[in-house]
Amino acid sequence: MSAEICVKVDHVSKSFRRGSESIQVLSGLSLQVPRGEYLGLMGPSGSGKTTLLNLIAGLDQPTAGSVWVGDTEISHLSESQLAAWRTRSLGFVFQFYHLLPVLTAYANVELPLLLLPLSAAQRKQQVLTALDIVGLSDRLHHRPGQLSGGQCQRVGIARAIVTDPALIVADEPTGDLDAKSAEEILNLLCELRTQLKKTIVMVTHDPRAAARADRILHLEKGKLVEQIEN
Amino acid sequence: MKFLRLIYQNLWRNKLRSSLTALGTMVLVFVVTLVWSILGFLANATTEKPANIKAIVSERWRIPSMMPYAYSTSLKEGAATESEHIKPSDNMTWTFYGGSLDPKKRTFENIVFAFCLEPKKLLTMMDGLEDLPPDSADRKTLEAGVAKLEQNRQGILLGRDRMERLKKKIGDRFIIHSFNYKEIDLEVEVVGTLPARRYDQSAAMNIDYFLSAIDAYKQKHNGQAHAMANKTMNLVWLRVPDTQSFTQVAAQIQESPQFSLPAVKVQTASSGISTFLEAYRDLLWGMRWLLAPAILVTLAVVIANAISISVRERQTEFAVLKVLGFRPLQIMVLVLGEALLIGIASGVVSAGGSWLLVNQVAGGIPFPIAFFPKFLIPADAWWWGLAVGGGTAFLGSFIPAWTACRVKVSEVFARVG
Ligand SMILES: Nc1ncnc2c1ncn2[C@@H]1O[C@H](COP(=O)(O)OP(=O)(O)OP(=O)(O)O)[C@@H](O)[C@H]1O
Ligand SMILES: [Mg+2]
Repeated sequence: MSAEICVKVDHVSKSFRRGSESIQVLSGLSLQVPRGEYLGLMGPSGSGKTTLLNLIAGLDQPTAGSVWVGDTEISHLSESQLAAWRTRSLGFVFQFYHLLPVLTAYANVELPLLLLPLSAAQRKQQVLTALDIVGLSDRLHHRPGQLSGGQCQRVGIARAIVTDPALIVADEPTGDLDAKSAEEILNLLCELRTQLKKTIVMVTHDPRAAARADRILHLEKGKLVEQIEN
Repeated sequence: MKFLRLIYQNLWRNKLRSSLTALGTMVLVFVVTLVWSILGFLANATTEKPANIKAIVSERWRIPSMMPYAYSTSLKEGAATESEHIKPSDNMTWTFYGGSLDPKKRTFENIVFAFCLEPKKLLTMMDGLEDLPPDSADRKTLEAGVAKLEQNRQGILLGRDRMERLKKKIGDRFIIHSFNYKEIDLEVEVVGTLPARRYDQSAAMNIDYFLSAIDAYKQKHNGQAHAMANKTMNLVWLRVPDTQSFTQVAAQIQESPQFSLPAVKVQTASSGISTFLEAYRDLLWGMRWLLAPAILVTLAVVIANAISISVRERQTEFAVLKVLGFRPLQIMVLVLGEALLIGIASGVVSAGGSWLLVNQVAGGIPFPIAFFPKFLIPADAWWWGLAVGGGTAFLGSFIPAWTACRVKVSEVFARVG
């Protein structure tokens, strides 16, 4: 597959079984994200945005079709292969940050590095770099409870980029933030794209957030219905 | 281990729950340690020593045993009459003499229980004294005391606690008014102490003094012997080299016509204790097979409960860890590790703590019955704590850990609606 394409979703369907009935969430959806693109995914609640994001992040398997990230067809990997792949190749930013409350900002960011064969010194270096990028060098030893929402999300972003993955996926990263903090987070995501050349796939309900993306896809009932180039 | 810090920090998440779990573990491990120590202690006490056995000769049909002192001469020889008979290598006689300093009022503060015996047998036949190292201070004290008892027939050696209770010191003289040998009141002089611990409450006197008092009674009462004159020997101990000679000496004595009124029996210390424990057989069986396993199960349940609550609360967190790339096995290690850390730490603290407390601080718990040695917790308790704490933690947390590692990320984050 072309070196220019970072994510390729190919005729993907996804259905969930709830009791005896089967719910079709995605039906034959295809999309491609070029390397370095900042893609926004919009759509009404329940349209399958998170489901799509989970497939791209290798957190779930499609019922049909295939998902490629870089040169890897992740829809064929086993659970532990996917785990190892995620550590190195994917950063995930959550709406509700999902930091571990018992750990300091530093330790939260260090978590993914514990899975890699790195020395303590190398880990420290990478954690400090990541926290510096998000502008939290002065909050290393604060716990999530002692940080504002915006600051927590920045720790979340530092955790997502600390292993230097090519792809960042974010599920409503500003959904829980006030306008000012949201603005800062969006600026930060833009920087990740322009300065660190990350590919970003972001789900959002917020038109202002979407406006910052290079391209916006609209999802409705498991299908792409509209494409807007910014 | 990079995960260790993570595991440790997770335990601080809910301090109350972690401490309660730890506390519960400690209490239960403590009980298991006690139960196992007691069972081991009894098993040890009832296990026949294969060599260097002490045979105990006592009256066959009556408790307490009271034999005529005249038996001693022949019994000490193992009733050997024929050339092929074997003789014990050492022996001692026991006469229990009890009395108080105040003839009218008996209190714990003024009573004395003395073993009347041949003084030098303190050095060779007494449990816990016979094997004192030759250079030890205790041995030196004891040798000096034995010499004093031999020189001074009225001498008495007192255990340290007894001496304090009686408020006496070496050199003091006083009269013991006997309650088991009425009117045989002996004036004694404290000439030394018995080695510490096991004999702290005991006293030892020269048997000759006691026997001459029994004789003197007869003279004073116009040839009328003391009512107990023929019942002045409670036990005889004989040392034999092995089980085979024990059996033979026992047969020699039991078949001898000399010991018919009263008849005698020959036992080993362990068989004596076994007979005594026979009465508690069901209780001991219950302790081993019901109580101990029940505690282990309870412990596993306590841990399982705490860990599964904590796992349920942290579903999202495990899902996040999975998103970050933690593999199921690694998540399992985190959960098991938490349980193991609590279980092992509390187990070792509890079992090791009871070992320290009972053995080092209290110096053992005396058993007030039979010829039991002091009760000690074996050093193995440290391992028991580790194994019981760790084992039950593992069993208790296995299922919660399994649940945690099976967390499905897409379901945890799905906003089902
Ligand atoms: N694990 C699951 N099991 C069953 N149903 C699921 C699961 N995950 C998602 N669904 C269903 O799939 C549909 C799409 O869910 P999804 O979370 O992808 O929507 P969304 O577009 O992210 O919505 P929102 O904007 O509210 O986050 C919903 O009807 C949801 O109930
Ligand atoms: Mg969603």
